[in-house]
Amino acid sequence: MSTGATSPAAPSAWRDPVALLAAPAVLYLLVVYALPLLWLLAKSLAGPDGLTLRPYVDFMSDPFNWRVIGNTLGAASWVTLFCLVVGYPAGFALARAGTFMQIVMLVSIILPLSIGVVVKAFAWQIVLRRDGVVSQFLVGVGIWDEPQRLLFTETGLVLGAANIFLPFMILPIYSVVKLIDPRLGEAGATLGATPFYRFTRIFLPLTLPGVVSGVAFVFSMSVSMYVIPSLLIGDRFQTLATLTGRSFLMMRNEQLGSTTAVILLVLAVSIVVGSTWLARRLGGST
Amino acid sequence: MPIQSSNISRRQLLAGTVAGSVAISGFPAIVRAQAKEIVIGGAASMAPWMNGTMSKSFEEKYKCKVTFEGTRSLVNLEKMQKNKDKPYLSVVLMDDPVMIMAVQEGLLEKLTATAIPNLAKTRPSAIHMEGMWANYLQPWQGVATNTKAVPGGMASWGDIYDPKYKSRIVLPSLQNTEGLANLVMAAHLETGKPIAEAQFDIEAGFKKIKTLKPNILTIYTQIPQAFNLLEQGEAWAIPSAFSSVVVPREKDKAPIKMNVPKEGIFVGPAGIALVKNNPAPDLARAFVNELLGVEMQTKLLPETYAFPSNVDSPSPPGIAADVKVHSLDWQFVAKERAAWVVRWDREMAI
Repeated sequence: MSTGATSPAAPSAWRDPVALLAAPAVLYLLVVYALPLLWLLAKSLAGPDGLTLRPYVDFMSDPFNWRVIGNTLGAASWVTLFCLVVGYPAGFALARAGTFMQIVMLVSIILPLSIGVVVKAFAWQIVLRRDGVVSQFLVGVGIWDEPQRLLFTETGLVLGAANIFLPFMILPIYSVVKLIDPRLGEAGATLGATPFYRFTRIFLPLTLPGVVSGVAFVFSMSVSMYVIPSLLIGDRFQTLATLTGRSFLMMRNEQLGSTTAVILLVLAVSIVVGSTWLARRLGGST
Repeated sequence: MPIQSSNISRRQLLAGTVAGSVAISGFPAIVRAQAKEIVIGGAASMAPWMNGTMSKSFEEKYKCKVTFEGTRSLVNLEKMQKNKDKPYLSVVLMDDPVMIMAVQEGLLEKLTATAIPNLAKTRPSAIHMEGMWANYLQPWQGVATNTKAVPGGMASWGDIYDPKYKSRIVLPSLQNTEGLANLVMAAHLETGKPIAEAQFDIEAGFKKIKTLKPNILTIYTQIPQAFNLLEQGEAWAIPSAFSSVVVPREKDKAPIKMNVPKEGIFVGPAGIALVKNNPAPDLARAFVNELLGVEMQTKLLPETYAFPSNVDSPSPPGIAADVKVHSLDWQFVAKERAAWVVRWDREMAI
């Protein structure tokens, strides 16, 4: 039996006065985000005789630029994966910790956010150098025979960037895990579910919204990172963000900069939206 | 004598201040002319000596007020572009590549030896585009080394190619002004041609510098980061480093040293020019003349760690009088640089 006919109809989003509360934020984003993006798009499509796709065709015709796209997506994917692997259990630990330990852990996660990226990147230079902590540890435990270079390598970039973005993976997962009733696991165990079955059929689907949020946050920040690759890997590893920055700041080529910026945005949004859709589908099928 | 100001009400004071501000902003040329003020545009890093030794000496001698605006060369260019009809800057100190852009846009006034007598005493290689601008004190470029890792220093620009420096060399990007010297030196090392000729054989430069890849630790765009690596001992050498960065740290006892290789040194493109139709032409010419003069250049040597362009000025400490001094053809660089940067990305990538 449907109750729709008798219950009062919910006001549409347009007529709901509460929606007006979002007006300042919408206006702000319109001015500082949407308009500049439209300007970028227009600039990238502006040709001498009107609209043209020539800048995109030229960019995509150059094999080096595919390498730049590969660098951008590869680095962002590795950073996101690293953050997920490290951040998922950390989110659980944080949600299930006692009050005191939870405060300590939250402070440890949030406090580093107050330190600038440049400072962190310089700190990573000290950690990753040949006589740094990581190298000494790996030699000490016998994995390496002699100190090796980690600085200015893709591994160094992923380690450094993951350190900076990790809180953005842990916090969304934590916020979802803390809403899950721990007795669900006990109930599953009572019914004979193995720990693996309980994780894959109960906890993982329930935590997927947090995972999707964390992945979306970390991926979108790492795909567009500019300062971190500049400092941790240098000029020899070009990404779309560094190419965009250089086009505007050094080569004064606004069209190339706009083109790379739009390509970066389209790639980032497609991947985030696609992965969200996929995660929801997978979550829904369990 | 009674204190008269006690009779002025806050409202009167406010009204007077507002009227004064309006008058000043409305008639800047008149006020400036009366006050004999000159506005100089330069780099932010020049502020200590520009606001200190240079301004004090000039203000005392010419009984005027010097206002220095320190920023980036491209920002100074924009200021000139936007105020082309009514310039407020009288003199600009910018990098040569930006000077070329300013000349192309008709923003500069030609320097002449009649108006600026010290131009006649300036090295000919430091006067550009028939006197559109001149170099004054130029940061020089040699090879910076870590004194613990390379105790003997480097006697040649070619030393950085030695396999014993595997992953220990830090290069400036071609985006950085100082980075271009490495490409030109590579062309010289590859062909044996004099630098003045080799700078046009960039094909040879790329061929040689590609062989440096195993030795490269990183290619930097941020100078402080590169010098941190050098001082910490992770990097052992930075070729084409600026004296204005290395020498002050050497003086602070950091474990780094500037070497003057046998092939010679490069001098950086530090230019000074008159802004066209500037509001204080006499003071502006006098200012340029002072900065090109032997007295001021000698006085500023210990503060700028740079190479003087006046032929009568002494060489900076640590540099022999007969050292070979090279400067690049910045017009050629300006024309080709974007293509070089694109090629550099492809050929020097990890």
